[in-house]
Amino acid sequence: MLIALAGNPNTGKSTIFNALTGSHQHVGNWPGVTVEKKEGFTEYKGKRIKIVDLPGTYSLTAYSLEELIARNFILEEKPDVVIDIIDSTNLERNLYLLTELMELTDRIVIALNMFDEAKKKYRIDVEKMKKILGIPVVPTVAIRNEGIDELLKEAVEGKFSIKKPSYPEDVEKRIKTLESMLKKYKVGHERWYAIKLLENDGDVMKKFQRIGAKDIIHQAEHFRHEIEDVYGDDIETVMASFRYSFSHGLFHEIAEPINVGGVTITDMVDHVVAHKIFGIPIFLVVMYLAFNFVFEVATPFQNAIDLLFNGKDLANGGEINGLIDLSYYWMTGFMPSWLSSFINYGLLRGLAAVLSFLPIIMLLFLILSFLEDSGYLARVAFLMDRIMRKIGLEGRGIISLMLGLGCNVPAIMSTRALRNERERKLSIALNPLIPCGARIQVFAFLTSLFFARNQATVLWSLLLISFATVAFLGYIYKKTIFKGEVEPFVMELPPYRLPTLKGISIHMWEKSEGFLKKAGTIIIGAAGIIWLLAALPWGVEYGSESSYIGQIAQFLSPVGHLFGLTPQAIISLFFGFFAKEVVIDSFTVLFENREALMASMTQLQAFSFLLFLLFYTPCVATLATVYRETRSKRFVVFVILEGLTLALLFSFLAYQIGTLLGVGG
Amino acid sequence: MRLSELQPGESALVVRVSGSGPIHRRLLSMGILPGTVIKVVRTSPLGDPVVYEIRGAFISLRRNEAEQVEVEKIVPLHLIPPGSMVKVIMVDGGMGFIQNLHKMGISPGRVIEIMKGCCPMVVRTPLGQFTIGRGMAYRIYVR
Repeated sequence: MLIALAGNPNTGKSTIFNALTGSHQHVGNWPGVTVEKKEGFTEYKGKRIKIVDLPGTYSLTAYSLEELIARNFILEEKPDVVIDIIDSTNLERNLYLLTELMELTDRIVIALNMFDEAKKKYRIDVEKMKKILGIPVVPTVAIRNEGIDELLKEAVEGKFSIKKPSYPEDVEKRIKTLESMLKKYKVGHERWYAIKLLENDGDVMKKFQRIGAKDIIHQAEHFRHEIEDVYGDDIETVMASFRYSFSHGLFHEIAEPINVGGVTITDMVDHVVAHKIFGIPIFLVVMYLAFNFVFEVATPFQNAIDLLFNGKDLANGGEINGLIDLSYYWMTGFMPSWLSSFINYGLLRGLAAVLSFLPIIMLLFLILSFLEDSGYLARVAFLMDRIMRKIGLEGRGIISLMLGLGCNVPAIMSTRALRNERERKLSIALNPLIPCGARIQVFAFLTSLFFARNQATVLWSLLLISFATVAFLGYIYKKTIFKGEVEPFVMELPPYRLPTLKGISIHMWEKSEGFLKKAGTIIIGAAGIIWLLAALPWGVEYGSESSYIGQIAQFLSPVGHLFGLTPQAIISLFFGFFAKEVVIDSFTVLFENREALMASMTQLQAFSFLLFLLFYTPCVATLATVYRETRSKRFVVFVILEGLTLALLFSFLAYQIGTLLGVGG
Repeated sequence: MRLSELQPGESALVVRVSGSGPIHRRLLSMGILPGTVIKVVRTSPLGDPVVYEIRGAFISLRRNEAEQVEVEKIVPLHLIPPGSMVKVIMVDGGMGFIQNLHKMGISPGRVIEIMKGCCPMVVRTPLGQFTIGRGMAYRIYVR
């Protein structure tokens, strides 16, 4: 048996999905697109039931990807039952989608979700609703698991004798005529197709043009003009008005408002949080606190993972062996030492890097889903929309860019929230230029050595250069390679709600699992390649100047000189490609002590190096994520070239101008 | 006038949703249709987008979207000071509510006089003098 879940966004659809399927769920993509598809299984009296979560939509027109996916699924996969999840606190609006669903299928079960909250707003007559519509109606409170069992029971055993919404007689007559003409084409769902043909639905019109049904297209066109003449408005407005007057009527039949005009909590919170002047400062404070939380909590975990795998040098000259060392010694017992070294110092170290990313990624997703589920992100999108549009993104784009300061991997994954494909690509192209936590860590280390007296100034200047570049490039991209039509940005600001722990943890785990599986393998592979370059020819000191990496760096050093890059700096950049924080480790291999490192570069060279580090090729994890999210190798190449170009440009300008002016030398 | 010309706190009745294409359809499916009551809630820092209350939900529209919506300014009855004469434009509710008000002489097109301000209000209609509670006054729109 197959059940599909439909409903508006913000109705608690995913909470019901989680409640129905528990942990038996799978997240993938709808074929060919990056819209998320969730499937799961449940059991009822020994019967196995597949449950598919359709994208949240307000209607079922042909003009958004989500709506097309939802309706095509019902048309083609023919689910046995569609559960329409309705936010009972926002009844009238939610009933509109119901009228569209009722045209598409007869077997609908209504879940009146958030029923407890709705009771404070209206008196809802559930029995009357069942009688009027002829389908099962189940009040639910998904966050407390109330009504879920009954919902499943009604879906399997319920009685359906649906009473479809009807249009005025003159329209209905024409729908019937089209329906009977449709019989010979054997497409099924005649009433739905008849209505859509009348409405001039782009997708359906194309379908009938393809099968050469000229007669029916002409007839529909003729009827459409007649109706437009009679009702004095365009067909879309006329048909939407009919549906809304049905849902308006139904709403007033079944619900009686109480306490009209009272001030809600959402009103009060928005009065401050979405305030014209205070809104943006409040947002910045919220993000600052969120990042503090993420780094405070993640650091001990990252240190523990690092200690476990890599061990630690003790102050008294001794050392604690990590798993990598131990496993190396153990394996050397029964295999050649080069192989053991490759497995442990190459691949296992790669795995350790993947795991050390994990705490940050999970926590950033925790914050993201908390902000999203509480309803706050919609306010941010509202506050920032006009500003972000200048760089070609909608308001929500600010979230991905800011997450980039934590880690570019979850930041790029979060661009899925952008509805527009072009804006999503633009956002992905800009994101690696935001310095992530790892790069900021390297900046902090190097500036503390080279710019001890004005460390803060140098750090802030790097951040400002990054933000200015992102803004400038966004502006240019919007006008050139990522140019496109203005798309509707009609967005609902849902009432504030306290997110559930279960909902957040499921979301957090899904995302992190995706990263581990897909990006993880690529990172481990890259770790292997870096090992080969750093350890060969066999016998040299790992990552030293006589290894392949060192030789390449020597070879590049005349070019590097133009940009103020020393051979050791170039070596460290190779390692940084693997993970940016490794730059610090590679310096510790290359130099005896801090003094030697400080003597190797002038202040000007150090600054050019920092600029290079800021922009150059993103780390492997980020590239793997870019590929996973765009499915385009060309796009990955674009991101690499973009970063390299900027890095070369900035370090060249800084070094040459600095030399000319004779500063920092 | 256009929806984009209204100030926060003001209400309006949709007359027409112009244009075509994705924006047009999106406005319709969000329930912005001729006869819908819209209230302006608040503007963002740069004055665009703006949040509107539409059919019980808060919806944010950009300026170019709100410009497509032709409206007529209306005022909910509870904001009208005593002593004024106003014309009823629409009554927002189910059949029962509309009929009850009709019996008091409050229906679209009728002129009523406010005797006492909100709330409860006292109004004089062609059919006599009536007391109207807060819950009712919020759903009667006049000009």
